[in-house]
Amino acid sequence: MSRDLLHQDEIRAFVREAYRSVDSESRAVAEKLYSPEELDGVPAIALDHALGVGNHLLHARIEPGDTVLDLGCGSGIDSILASRRTGPSGRVIALDFLPEMLERTAAAADEAGLDNVDVLEGEMEAIPLPDDSVDCLISNGVVNLSPRKARVLAECARVLRRDGELCVADLTVEEQELPPEVLTHPAAWAG
Amino acid sequence: MAGALTERDFVQKLERAGFVEIEVLERTPMGIDDCALYPLFTKELLAIMRDVIPAERLDRIGVCAIIRARRA
Repeated sequence: MSRDLLHQDEIRAFVREAYRSVDSESRAVAEKLYSPEELDGVPAIALDHALGVGNHLLHARIEPGDTVLDLGCGSGIDSILASRRTGPSGRVIALDFLPEMLERTAAAADEAGLDNVDVLEGEMEAIPLPDDSVDCLISNGVVNLSPRKARVLAECARVLRRDGELCVADLTVEEQELPPEVLTHPAAWAG
Repeated sequence: MAGALTERDFVQKLERAGFVEIEVLERTPMGIDDCALYPLFTKELLAIMRDVIPAERLDRIGVCAIIRARRA
């Protein structure tokens, strides 16, 4: 019931505005989630705006030559790390709904000397990619932001090839719901 | 965080979307101090959370789950 206190369009607007207006650094998030070895060589522009919630890449089975979709790439830290594993024969498609995030990811990939990271603007509820076009899909703290999660996951299944894998880190809650004061606060839908 | 599913709901939605071999590989509690690392959690929101969430839940407001699944 409390999850219906806000309309989908309101939630989308809150999330978009919150991410667009982030102006402080969050390097501490990157340093908490990833090892120094992993972060070595990742450009500051990616590290300074890390907003993921876990290190799912430890479990993602990415092979050289794979096409990887990073759903909601943010500033690009996971796209950079994934691109190292696909190697030059593979590619990472970094998808985000905010051009500002895509600019950071593209700048980070460029600075890291990676030419196998392609940025793509789009919504996770309507991924602008063909069916069966992705070997591995990764996402970090993003699915929870959508008011249409079933649609997002259906889109993930559509773009993955048969036997392709999804590996996500996402925020979950326990059965007891958060108080309505939190659920109705706009920032709580982005954070 | 307001849009987060329970782990059970997340897994059910993956199943309905056509995923199989769904594994929850890690579960990491996320408390109020973890939330404070993120600029997305405003000072106002953090204050409300400290105010209305029972103290015994403040070190486990949410859980970061790492989930892997295969498309059938």
